[in-house]
Amino acid sequence: MGVDLSVEVLGLKFKNPLVLASGPAGFGFELQQYLDISKVGAITLKTVTLNPREGNAPPRLVDTHGGIINSIGLQNPGIEEFVNIIAPKLKEIRTIKIGSIAGFTIEEWKILGEKMDKIKDIKAIELDLSCPNVEGKKIWAKDEELTQEAIKAVRESTDKPIIAKLAPDVTDIVKVAKKAVNAGADALSLGNTIEAMRINIETGLPVLKLKTGGLSGPSIKPITLARVFRVAEALEIPIIGIGGVMNWQDALEYAMAGASLVGIGTAIMVNPQAPLEILQGIESFLRQKGVEKFEDIIGIAHRGGF
Amino acid sequence: MIEAELIEKRTAKDYGLFKFKLKEKLKDPDAGQFVMLKSPDEPILAKPFSIYSYKNRKLTLFIKRVGRLTGKVFSSPIGEVFYVRGPYGIPYIKKIDRDKKYILIGGGSGVAPLNFFSELYPELVYKKLYGFKGRYIRELFEEQSSLVIEEESGKTVVDVLREVYSEGLGVLACGPIPMLKTLPPGSYVSLESVMGCGIGTCKSCAVKTKEGIKMVCKDGPLFRKEEIQWEWI
Repeated sequence: MGVDLSVEVLGLKFKNPLVLASGPAGFGFELQQYLDISKVGAITLKTVTLNPREGNAPPRLVDTHGGIINSIGLQNPGIEEFVNIIAPKLKEIRTIKIGSIAGFTIEEWKILGEKMDKIKDIKAIELDLSCPNVEGKKIWAKDEELTQEAIKAVRESTDKPIIAKLAPDVTDIVKVAKKAVNAGADALSLGNTIEAMRINIETGLPVLKLKTGGLSGPSIKPITLARVFRVAEALEIPIIGIGGVMNWQDALEYAMAGASLVGIGTAIMVNPQAPLEILQGIESFLRQKGVEKFEDIIGIAHRGGF
Repeated sequence: MIEAELIEKRTAKDYGLFKFKLKEKLKDPDAGQFVMLKSPDEPILAKPFSIYSYKNRKLTLFIKRVGRLTGKVFSSPIGEVFYVRGPYGIPYIKKIDRDKKYILIGGGSGVAPLNFFSELYPELVYKKLYGFKGRYIRELFEEQSSLVIEEESGKTVVDVLREVYSEGLGVLACGPIPMLKTLPPGSYVSLESVMGCGIGTCKSCAVKTKEGIKMVCKDGPLFRKEEIQWEWI
Protein backbone atom coordinates (compact mmCIF):
# COMPACT_ATOMS: atom_id res chain seq x y z
CA MET A 1 0.00 0.00 0.00
CA GLY A 2 1.27 3.45 -0.89
CA VAL A 3 1.93 6.18 1.61
CA ASP A 4 -0.31 9.24 1.28
CA LEU A 5 2.08 12.17 0.88
CA SER A 6 -0.59 14.79 0.20
CA VAL A 7 -0.97 17.84 2.40
CA GLU A 8 -4.11 19.95 2.70
CA VAL A 9 -3.35 23.44 3.77
CA LEU A 10 -4.33 27.01 2.74
CA GLY A 11 -7.47 25.55 1.18
CA LEU A 12 -5.30 23.77 -1.37
CA LYS A 13 -4.42 20.12 -1.82
CA PHE A 14 -0.69 19.68 -2.38
CA LYS A 15 0.14 16.27 -3.85
CA ASN A 16 3.19 16.12 -1.60
CA PRO A 17 4.94 18.45 0.86
CA LEU A 18 7.80 19.52 -1.41
CA VAL A 19 7.81 23.11 -2.61
CA LEU A 20 10.44 24.49 -4.95
CA ALA A 21 11.48 27.53 -2.92
CA SER A 22 11.50 30.95 -4.54
CA GLY A 23 14.73 31.77 -6.33
CA PRO A 24 16.78 28.97 -7.80
CA ALA A 25 13.84 27.45 -9.69
CA GLY A 26 13.09 30.72 -11.50
CA PHE A 27 9.62 30.64 -13.05
CA GLY A 28 10.08 26.93 -13.71
CA PHE A 29 10.47 27.10 -17.50
CA GLU A 30 14.19 26.29 -17.68
CA LEU A 31 14.06 23.88 -14.78
CA GLN A 32 11.31 21.77 -16.26
CA GLN A 33 13.69 20.59 -18.98
CA TYR A 34 15.63 18.86 -16.21
CA LEU A 35 12.97 18.06 -13.63
CA ASP A 36 9.37 16.89 -14.00
CA ILE A 37 7.86 19.72 -11.95
CA SER A 38 4.45 17.99 -11.91
CA LYS A 39 6.02 15.59 -9.40
CA VAL A 40 6.50 18.27 -6.72
CA GLY A 41 3.78 19.73 -4.51
CA ALA A 42 4.23 23.33 -5.60
CA ILE A 43 6.61 25.91 -6.97
CA THR A 44 7.07 29.31 -5.46
CA LEU A 45 8.05 31.48 -8.39
CA LYS A 46 11.00 33.84 -8.48
CA THR A 47 10.24 37.08 -6.66
CA VAL A 48 8.77 39.85 -8.79
CA THR A 49 9.15 43.56 -7.99
CA LEU A 50 7.20 46.52 -9.30
CA ASN A 51 9.94 47.63 -11.69
CA PRO A 52 12.28 45.36 -13.65
CA ARG A 53 15.57 44.66 -11.88
CA GLU A 54 18.89 43.69 -13.43
CA GLY A 55 20.16 42.27 -10.17
CA ASN A 56 23.61 42.84 -8.74
CA ALA A 57 26.89 42.91 -10.63
CA PRO A 58 28.91 39.69 -10.48
CA PRO A 59 30.31 37.83 -8.68
CA ARG A 60 26.90 36.99 -7.24
CA LEU A 61 27.76 33.65 -5.72
CA VAL A 62 30.51 32.14 -3.64
CA ASP A 63 30.69 28.84 -1.83
CA THR A 64 31.67 28.24 1.74
CA HIS A 65 31.84 25.28 4.10
CA GLY A 66 28.42 23.70 4.27
CA GLY A 67 26.74 26.19 2.03
CA ILE A 68 26.74 28.95 -0.54
CA ILE A 69 26.41 32.70 -0.29
CA ASN A 70 24.42 34.45 -3.01
CA SER A 71 23.70 38.05 -3.81
CA ILE A 72 21.60 37.77 -6.96
CA GLY A 73 19.61 40.86 -6.00
CA LEU A 74 16.08 40.00 -7.14
CA GLN A 75 16.80 39.94 -10.88
CA ASN A 76 13.33 39.89 -12.44
CA PRO A 77 11.38 41.38 -15.36
CA GLY A 78 9.03 43.47 -13.17
CA ILE A 79 5.33 42.99 -12.54
CA GLU A 80 4.06 44.28 -15.93
CA GLU A 81 6.07 41.78 -17.96
CA PHE A 82 5.23 39.10 -15.41
CA VAL A 83 1.51 39.71 -15.83
CA ASN A 84 1.56 40.10 -19.62
CA ILE A 85 4.17 37.59 -20.75
CA ILE A 86 5.03 35.13 -17.96
CA ALA A 87 1.62 34.57 -16.37
CA PRO A 88 -0.14 33.37 -19.55
CA LYS A 89 2.50 30.64 -19.89
CA LEU A 90 2.29 29.44 -16.30
CA LYS A 91 -0.17 26.68 -17.15
CA GLU A 92 2.78 24.83 -18.71
CA ILE A 93 4.09 24.38 -15.18
CA ARG A 94 1.91 21.55 -13.95
CA THR A 95 1.84 22.00 -10.22
CA ILE A 96 0.49 24.54 -7.75
CA LYS A 97 2.01 27.94 -8.44
CA ILE A 98 2.71 30.34 -5.59
CA GLY A 99 3.56 33.87 -6.69
CA SER A 100 6.29 35.80 -4.87
CA ILE A 101 6.42 39.56 -4.56
CA ALA A 102 8.68 42.14 -2.94
CA GLY A 103 7.70 45.75 -2.43
CA PHE A 104 10.04 48.61 -1.63
CA THR A 105 7.21 50.72 -0.16
CA ILE A 106 3.77 50.02 1.29
CA GLU A 107 2.21 51.36 -1.91
CA GLU A 108 4.27 48.88 -3.96
CA TRP A 109 3.17 45.96 -1.78
CA LYS A 110 -0.41 46.96 -2.41
CA ILE A 111 -0.01 47.23 -6.20
CA LEU A 112 1.89 43.95 -6.39
CA GLY A 113 -0.82 42.24 -4.35
CA GLU A 114 -3.53 43.54 -6.67
CA LYS A 115 -1.68 42.44 -9.81
CA MET A 116 -1.01 38.95 -8.45
CA ASP A 117 -4.59 38.65 -7.28
CA LYS A 118 -5.81 38.82 -10.88
CA ILE A 119 -3.64 35.94 -12.14
CA LYS A 120 -5.78 32.82 -12.22
CA ASP A 121 -2.84 30.37 -12.18
CA ILE A 122 -1.43 31.85 -8.97
CA LYS A 123 -3.01 30.02 -6.03
CA ALA A 124 -1.27 31.81 -3.18
CA ILE A 125 1.03 34.80 -2.75
CA GLU A 126 4.29 34.75 -0.86
CA LEU A 127 5.61 38.03 0.48
CA ASP A 128 9.38 38.14 0.23
CA LEU A 129 9.90 40.24 3.34
CA SER A 130 13.40 38.97 3.95
CA CYS A 131 15.70 39.06 0.90
CA PRO A 132 19.03 40.38 2.21
CA ASN A 133 20.50 41.15 -1.20
CA VAL A 134 19.24 44.51 -2.32
CA GLU A 135 21.47 47.49 -1.61
CA GLY A 136 19.70 50.21 0.34
CA LYS A 137 16.49 48.20 0.71
CA LYS A 138 15.19 47.56 4.17
CA ILE A 139 14.61 44.00 5.23
CA TRP A 140 10.98 44.21 6.26
CA ALA A 141 11.02 41.01 8.27
CA LYS A 142 13.72 42.34 10.61
CA ASP A 143 11.20 44.72 12.08
CA GLU A 144 7.86 43.39 13.29
CA GLU A 145 6.04 46.68 12.71
CA LEU A 146 7.20 46.85 9.08
CA THR A 147 6.30 43.19 8.64
CA GLN A 148 2.81 43.94 9.87
CA GLU A 149 2.34 46.97 7.60
CA ALA A 150 3.47 45.15 4.46
CA ILE A 151 1.19 42.18 5.12
CA LYS A 152 -1.76 44.45 5.86
CA ALA A 153 -1.26 46.25 2.55
CA VAL A 154 -1.33 43.01 0.60
CA ARG A 155 -4.17 41.61 2.70
CA GLU A 156 -6.34 44.50 1.55
CA SER A 157 -5.53 43.80 -2.09
CA THR A 158 -6.23 40.07 -2.32
CA ASP A 159 -8.33 37.22 -1.02
CA LYS A 160 -5.78 34.64 -2.11
CA PRO A 161 -3.85 32.94 0.68
CA ILE A 162 -0.89 35.05 1.84
CA ILE A 163 2.38 33.49 2.93
CA ALA A 164 4.81 35.73 4.80
CA LYS A 165 8.43 34.78 4.21
CA LEU A 166 10.28 35.76 7.36
CA ALA A 167 13.96 36.21 8.13
CA PRO A 168 15.51 33.59 10.40
CA ASP A 169 18.14 36.00 11.70
CA VAL A 170 16.02 38.04 14.12
CA THR A 171 16.13 38.24 17.89
CA ASP A 172 12.67 36.82 18.52
CA ILE A 173 11.11 34.94 15.63
CA VAL A 174 7.93 34.15 17.56
CA LYS A 175 7.27 37.86 18.08
CA VAL A 176 7.60 38.60 14.36
CA ALA A 177 5.52 35.54 13.47
CA LYS A 178 2.69 36.64 15.76
CA LYS A 179 2.60 40.09 14.18
CA ALA A 180 2.54 38.50 10.74
CA VAL A 181 -0.39 36.29 11.64
CA ASN A 182 -2.28 39.16 13.25
CA ALA A 183 -1.76 41.24 10.13
CA GLY A 184 -3.46 38.59 8.05
CA ALA A 185 -0.84 36.07 6.92
CA ASP A 186 -2.38 32.64 6.27
CA ALA A 187 0.96 30.83 6.44
CA LEU A 188 4.62 31.52 7.16
CA SER A 189 7.71 30.61 5.20
CA LEU A 190 10.59 30.09 7.62
CA GLY A 191 12.98 31.29 6.60
CA ASN A 192 15.34 32.85 4.11
CA THR A 193 19.09 33.05 3.64
CA ILE A 194 21.14 34.51 6.49
CA GLU A 195 23.37 37.53 5.92
CA ALA A 196 26.92 36.32 5.31
CA MET A 197 30.11 37.11 3.44
CA ARG A 198 33.56 35.96 2.43
CA ILE A 199 36.75 37.92 1.98
CA ASN A 200 39.44 37.09 -0.56
CA ILE A 201 42.61 37.17 1.53
CA GLU A 202 44.79 37.76 -1.55
CA THR A 203 43.03 41.00 -2.49
CA GLY A 204 41.83 41.86 0.99
CA LEU A 205 38.38 42.53 -0.46
CA PRO A 206 34.92 40.97 -0.18
CA VAL A 207 34.41 38.22 -2.75
CA LEU A 208 30.89 39.30 -3.67
CA LYS A 209 30.47 42.55 -5.56
CA LEU A 210 27.64 43.50 -3.19
CA LYS A 211 30.10 42.68 -0.33
CA THR A 212 27.56 40.60 1.60
CA GLY A 213 24.98 38.06 0.56
CA GLY A 214 22.72 35.39 1.96
CA LEU A 215 23.94 32.03 3.24
CA SER A 216 21.97 28.95 2.28
CA GLY A 217 22.59 25.23 2.35
CA PRO A 218 23.18 22.58 5.02
CA SER A 219 24.96 24.94 7.42
CA ILE A 220 21.80 26.97 8.08
CA LYS A 221 19.45 24.02 8.47
CA PRO A 222 19.77 23.54 12.24
CA ILE A 223 19.27 27.27 12.77
CA THR A 224 16.10 27.55 10.67
CA LEU A 225 14.83 24.25 12.03
CA ALA A 226 14.86 25.71 15.54
CA ARG A 227 12.89 28.72 14.30
CA VAL A 228 10.28 26.43 12.78
CA PHE A 229 10.10 24.47 16.01
CA ARG A 230 9.67 27.62 18.14
CA VAL A 231 6.96 29.10 15.93
CA ALA A 232 5.08 25.81 15.63
CA GLU A 233 5.17 25.55 19.41
CA ALA A 234 3.70 29.02 19.88
CA LEU A 235 1.24 29.42 17.01
CA GLU A 236 -1.42 27.52 15.08
CA ILE A 237 -0.31 28.50 11.59
CA PRO A 238 0.82 26.47 8.59
CA ILE A 239 4.57 26.70 8.08
CA ILE A 240 6.71 26.13 5.01
CA GLY A 241 10.10 25.09 6.36
CA ILE A 242 12.90 26.37 4.12
CA GLY A 243 16.61 26.24 4.76
CA GLY A 244 19.29 23.76 3.77
CA VAL A 245 17.11 20.81 2.86
CA MET A 246 19.50 18.61 0.88
CA ASN A 247 18.00 15.16 1.43
CA TRP A 248 14.91 13.33 2.70
CA GLN A 249 16.15 13.24 6.26
CA ASP A 250 16.34 17.05 6.31
CA ALA A 251 12.80 17.30 4.91
CA LEU A 252 11.48 14.96 7.60
CA GLU A 253 13.18 16.97 10.34
CA TYR A 254 11.34 20.09 9.19
CA ALA A 255 8.03 18.25 9.08
CA MET A 256 8.54 16.81 12.53
CA ALA A 257 9.42 20.27 13.87
CA GLY A 258 6.07 21.51 12.59
CA ALA A 259 6.37 22.40 8.91
CA SER A 260 3.41 21.33 6.76
CA LEU A 261 5.37 21.95 3.59
CA VAL A 262 9.10 21.85 2.96
CA GLY A 263 10.96 24.18 0.59
CA ILE A 264 13.92 23.19 -1.54
CA GLY A 265 16.29 25.79 -2.91
CA THR A 266 20.01 25.19 -2.81
CA ALA A 267 19.57 21.46 -3.43
CA ILE A 268 17.95 22.26 -6.80
CA MET A 269 21.06 24.17 -7.83
CA VAL A 270 23.30 21.29 -6.86
CA ASN A 271 21.12 18.68 -8.54
CA PRO A 272 17.88 19.54 -10.36
CA GLN A 273 16.65 15.99 -9.74
CA ALA A 274 17.04 16.29 -5.96
CA PRO A 275 13.28 16.65 -5.22
CA LEU A 276 12.51 13.25 -6.73
CA GLU A 277 15.18 11.55 -4.62
CA ILE A 278 13.87 13.34 -1.52
CA LEU A 279 10.29 12.21 -2.22
CA GLN A 280 11.35 8.60 -2.64
CA GLY A 281 13.28 8.76 0.61
CA ILE A 282 10.35 10.24 2.53
CA GLU A 283 7.97 7.64 1.17
CA SER A 284 10.14 4.64 1.98
CA PHE A 285 10.92 5.98 5.46
CA LEU A 286 7.24 6.45 6.27
CA ARG A 287 6.40 3.01 4.91
CA GLN A 288 9.08 1.47 7.08
CA LYS A 289 7.74 3.33 10.11
CA GLY A 290 4.21 2.17 9.31
CA VAL A 291 2.97 5.74 8.86
CA GLU A 292 0.13 5.90 6.34
CA LYS A 293 -0.14 9.66 5.94
CA PHE A 294 2.62 12.26 5.77
CA GLU A 295 0.33 14.67 7.61
CA ASP A 296 0.55 12.43 10.69
CA ILE A 297 4.19 13.31 11.25
CA ILE A 298 3.79 17.10 10.91
CA GLY A 299 4.77 18.53 14.29
CA ILE A 300 5.26 15.08 15.85
CA ALA A 301 8.23 16.46 17.81
CA HIS A 302 5.73 18.53 19.82
CA ARG A 303 3.55 15.51 20.57
CA GLY A 304 6.00 13.10 22.13
CA GLY A 305 7.42 11.70 18.90
CA PHE A 306 6.67 8.24 17.54
CA MET B 1 23.87 13.02 -11.71
CA ILE B 2 26.25 10.71 -13.54
CA GLU B 3 28.97 8.88 -11.65
CA ALA B 4 32.41 9.85 -12.96
CA GLU B 5 35.41 7.78 -11.96
CA LEU B 6 38.85 9.37 -12.23
CA ILE B 7 40.87 7.01 -14.43
CA GLU B 8 43.84 9.12 -15.55
CA LYS B 9 45.59 12.24 -14.35
CA ARG B 10 48.59 14.21 -15.52
CA THR B 11 49.55 17.34 -13.69
CA ALA B 12 52.16 20.06 -14.05
CA LYS B 13 52.19 22.36 -11.04
CA ASP B 14 48.78 24.10 -10.99
CA TYR B 15 47.44 22.67 -14.28
CA GLY B 16 46.25 19.15 -14.97
CA LEU B 17 44.48 16.90 -17.44
CA PHE B 18 41.97 14.61 -15.77
CA LYS B 19 40.15 11.79 -17.50
CA PHE B 20 36.91 10.45 -16.04
CA LYS B 21 34.98 7.36 -17.05
CA LEU B 22 31.25 8.07 -16.88
CA LYS B 23 28.63 5.53 -15.92
CA GLU B 24 26.23 6.90 -18.52
CA LYS B 25 27.03 8.74 -21.70
CA LEU B 26 26.67 12.48 -22.07
CA LYS B 27 24.01 13.54 -24.54
CA ASP B 28 25.74 14.79 -27.70
CA PRO B 29 28.42 16.97 -26.11
CA ASP B 30 29.76 19.64 -28.43
CA ALA B 31 32.65 22.08 -28.27
CA GLY B 32 32.05 25.04 -25.98
CA GLN B 33 29.68 23.12 -23.76
CA PHE B 34 30.49 22.42 -20.14
CA VAL B 35 29.64 19.94 -17.43
CA MET B 36 28.88 20.63 -13.79
CA LEU B 37 31.35 18.62 -11.69
CA LYS B 38 30.47 17.75 -8.11
CA SER B 39 32.50 16.27 -5.31
CA PRO B 40 30.68 13.58 -3.28
CA ASP B 41 30.89 15.83 -0.20
CA GLU B 42 32.33 19.33 0.21
CA PRO B 43 32.06 21.72 -1.51
CA ILE B 44 28.34 21.14 -1.89
CA LEU B 45 28.02 23.17 -5.07
CA ALA B 46 28.82 21.67 -8.47
CA LYS B 47 31.20 23.76 -10.60
CA PRO B 48 31.30 24.29 -14.36
CA PHE B 49 34.16 22.89 -16.46
CA SER B 50 34.43 23.12 -20.23
CA ILE B 51 34.81 19.82 -22.01
CA TYR B 52 38.43 19.36 -23.15
CA SER B 53 37.71 16.06 -24.85
CA TYR B 54 35.00 13.40 -24.89
CA LYS B 55 34.84 9.97 -26.45
CA ASN B 56 33.05 6.75 -25.50
CA ARG B 57 31.93 7.87 -22.06
CA LYS B 58 35.44 9.14 -21.32
CA LEU B 59 35.47 12.80 -20.38
CA THR B 60 38.69 14.80 -20.13
CA LEU B 61 38.83 18.09 -18.28
CA PHE B 62 41.72 20.55 -18.28
CA ILE B 63 41.73 22.09 -14.86
CA LYS B 64 43.64 24.82 -13.08
CA ARG B 65 43.90 24.44 -9.33
CA VAL B 66 42.15 27.42 -7.77
CA GLY B 67 39.79 26.43 -5.00
CA ARG B 68 38.40 23.62 -2.91
CA LEU B 69 36.87 21.52 -5.68
CA THR B 70 39.81 21.79 -8.07
CA GLY B 71 42.15 21.15 -5.12
CA LYS B 72 40.24 17.98 -4.41
CA VAL B 73 40.46 16.81 -8.02
CA PHE B 74 44.24 17.38 -7.95
CA SER B 75 44.74 15.43 -4.73
CA SER B 76 42.40 12.58 -5.67
CA PRO B 77 43.87 9.16 -6.35
CA ILE B 78 42.90 7.23 -9.49
CA GLY B 79 39.57 5.52 -8.83
CA GLU B 80 38.05 8.45 -6.93
CA VAL B 81 34.39 9.01 -7.82
CA PHE B 82 32.92 12.40 -8.68
CA TYR B 83 29.56 13.32 -10.22
CA VAL B 84 28.77 15.21 -13.40
CA ARG B 85 25.70 16.54 -15.14
CA GLY B 86 25.37 18.22 -18.50
CA PRO B 87 26.42 19.05 -21.11
CA TYR B 88 25.10 22.59 -20.82
CA GLY B 89 25.59 25.82 -22.75
CA ILE B 90 25.23 26.55 -26.45
CA PRO B 91 27.82 24.82 -28.67
CA TYR B 92 30.20 27.28 -30.33
CA ILE B 93 29.26 25.90 -33.73
CA LYS B 94 25.70 27.14 -33.32
CA LYS B 95 26.86 30.72 -32.77
CA ILE B 96 29.83 31.25 -35.07
CA ASP B 97 29.99 32.01 -38.78
CA ARG B 98 30.80 28.64 -40.36
CA ASP B 99 32.18 30.18 -43.52
CA LYS B 100 35.25 31.50 -41.75
CA LYS B 101 38.43 29.95 -40.49
CA TYR B 102 39.36 30.72 -36.91
CA ILE B 103 42.38 31.55 -34.88
CA LEU B 104 41.78 29.87 -31.54
CA ILE B 105 43.08 31.98 -28.68
CA GLY B 106 43.31 30.26 -25.31
CA GLY B 107 44.58 31.65 -22.05
CA GLY B 108 45.35 29.16 -19.27
CA SER B 109 42.46 26.82 -18.55
CA GLY B 110 40.57 28.62 -21.33
CA VAL B 111 42.36 26.23 -23.67
CA ALA B 112 39.93 23.45 -22.68
CA PRO B 113 36.92 24.18 -24.94
CA LEU B 114 39.20 25.22 -27.81
CA ASN B 115 40.89 21.84 -27.75
CA PHE B 116 37.52 20.12 -28.08
CA PHE B 117 36.61 22.52 -30.90
CA SER B 118 39.77 21.72 -32.82
CA GLU B 119 39.11 17.99 -32.37
CA LEU B 120 35.55 18.26 -33.71
CA TYR B 121 35.96 20.96 -36.36
CA PRO B 122 39.58 20.86 -37.60
CA GLU B 123 38.46 22.26 -40.96
CA LEU B 124 37.45 25.52 -39.27
CA VAL B 125 40.77 26.05 -37.51
CA TYR B 126 43.36 28.36 -39.07
CA LYS B 127 45.76 28.46 -36.13
CA LYS B 128 45.87 27.63 -32.45
CA LEU B 129 47.50 29.92 -29.91
CA TYR B 130 47.44 28.57 -26.39
CA GLY B 131 48.98 30.99 -23.95
CA PHE B 132 50.64 30.17 -20.64
CA LYS B 133 53.10 31.93 -18.37
CA GLY B 134 55.51 29.12 -17.46
CA ARG B 135 57.33 26.59 -19.64
CA TYR B 136 56.43 23.72 -17.28
CA ILE B 137 53.11 23.49 -19.14
CA ARG B 138 54.96 21.81 -22.05
CA GLU B 139 54.87 18.54 -20.07
CA LEU B 140 51.11 18.36 -20.52
CA PHE B 141 50.75 18.94 -24.25
CA GLU B 142 51.80 16.80 -27.18
CA GLU B 143 51.10 19.57 -29.67
CA GLN B 144 53.94 21.86 -28.64
CA SER B 145 53.62 24.19 -31.65
CA SER B 146 50.35 25.66 -30.39
CA LEU B 147 51.86 26.85 -27.14
CA VAL B 148 52.79 30.46 -26.59
CA ILE B 149 54.87 30.65 -23.44
CA GLU B 150 55.52 34.07 -22.00
CA GLU B 151 58.50 32.88 -20.00
CA GLU B 152 60.21 31.70 -23.21
CA SER B 153 59.39 34.33 -25.80
CA GLY B 154 58.31 37.28 -23.72
CA LYS B 155 55.15 37.31 -25.82
CA THR B 156 51.54 36.77 -24.91
CA VAL B 157 48.95 35.18 -27.19
CA VAL B 158 47.61 38.63 -27.91
CA ASP B 159 51.06 39.75 -29.16
CA VAL B 160 51.26 36.71 -31.45
CA LEU B 161 47.70 37.23 -32.62
CA ARG B 162 48.65 40.72 -33.87
CA GLU B 163 51.40 39.13 -35.98
CA VAL B 164 49.26 36.42 -37.59
CA TYR B 165 45.84 38.07 -37.79
CA SER B 166 44.52 39.20 -41.11
CA GLU B 167 41.19 40.49 -42.29
CA GLY B 168 38.69 37.73 -43.06
CA LEU B 169 39.86 35.43 -40.31
CA GLY B 170 37.70 34.79 -37.27
CA VAL B 171 38.86 34.82 -33.67
CA LEU B 172 37.49 32.34 -31.15
CA ALA B 173 38.82 32.96 -27.67
CA CYS B 174 38.56 31.70 -24.12
CA GLY B 175 40.64 33.01 -21.27
CA PRO B 176 41.00 35.76 -18.67
CA ILE B 177 38.88 38.90 -19.08
CA PRO B 178 41.86 41.27 -19.61
CA MET B 179 42.94 39.07 -22.53
CA LEU B 180 39.47 38.95 -24.06
CA LYS B 181 39.10 42.72 -23.86
CA THR B 182 42.12 43.33 -26.11
CA LEU B 183 40.88 41.15 -29.00
CA PRO B 184 39.94 42.63 -32.37
CA PRO B 185 36.33 43.63 -33.06
CA GLY B 186 34.15 40.76 -34.21
CA SER B 187 35.94 38.20 -32.02
CA TYR B 188 33.92 35.51 -30.36
CA VAL B 189 34.67 35.34 -26.65
CA SER B 190 33.82 32.44 -24.37
CA LEU B 191 33.17 33.67 -20.84
CA GLU B 192 33.96 32.08 -17.53
CA SER B 193 31.66 32.73 -14.60
CA VAL B 194 30.82 31.54 -11.14
CA MET B 195 27.74 29.40 -11.61
CA GLY B 196 25.15 27.87 -9.34
CA CYS B 197 22.89 25.65 -11.40
CA GLY B 198 24.38 25.69 -14.91
CA ILE B 199 20.92 25.56 -16.52
CA GLY B 200 19.71 29.14 -16.43
CA THR B 201 17.47 29.15 -13.40
CA CYS B 202 19.49 30.53 -10.47
CA LYS B 203 20.72 33.74 -12.14
CA SER B 204 24.21 33.59 -10.62
CA CYS B 205 26.29 33.90 -13.81
CA ALA B 206 24.92 37.19 -15.07
CA VAL B 207 26.60 39.13 -17.84
CA LYS B 208 25.39 42.50 -19.07
CA THR B 209 24.97 42.73 -22.82
CA LYS B 210 23.55 45.26 -25.25
CA GLU B 211 20.29 43.31 -25.06
CA GLY B 212 20.19 43.32 -21.28
CA ILE B 213 21.20 40.79 -18.68
CA LYS B 214 22.08 37.34 -20.01
CA MET B 215 23.20 34.15 -18.34
CA VAL B 216 26.60 32.75 -19.27
CA CYS B 217 25.35 29.18 -18.70
CA LYS B 218 22.22 29.29 -20.84
CA ASP B 219 22.76 32.13 -23.32
CA GLY B 220 26.54 31.59 -23.62
CA PRO B 221 29.23 30.84 -22.85
CA LEU B 222 30.08 32.30 -26.27
CA PHE B 223 29.30 35.92 -27.08
CA ARG B 224 30.41 38.50 -29.62
CA LYS B 225 32.98 40.76 -28.04
CA GLU B 226 30.84 43.81 -28.89
CA GLU B 227 27.76 42.41 -27.17
CA ILE B 228 29.37 42.53 -23.75
CA GLN B 229 29.33 45.53 -21.43
CA TRP B 230 32.78 44.82 -20.05
CA GLU B 231 32.78 47.44 -17.30
CA TRP B 232 29.94 45.58 -15.54
CA ILE B 233 31.81 42.28 -15.22
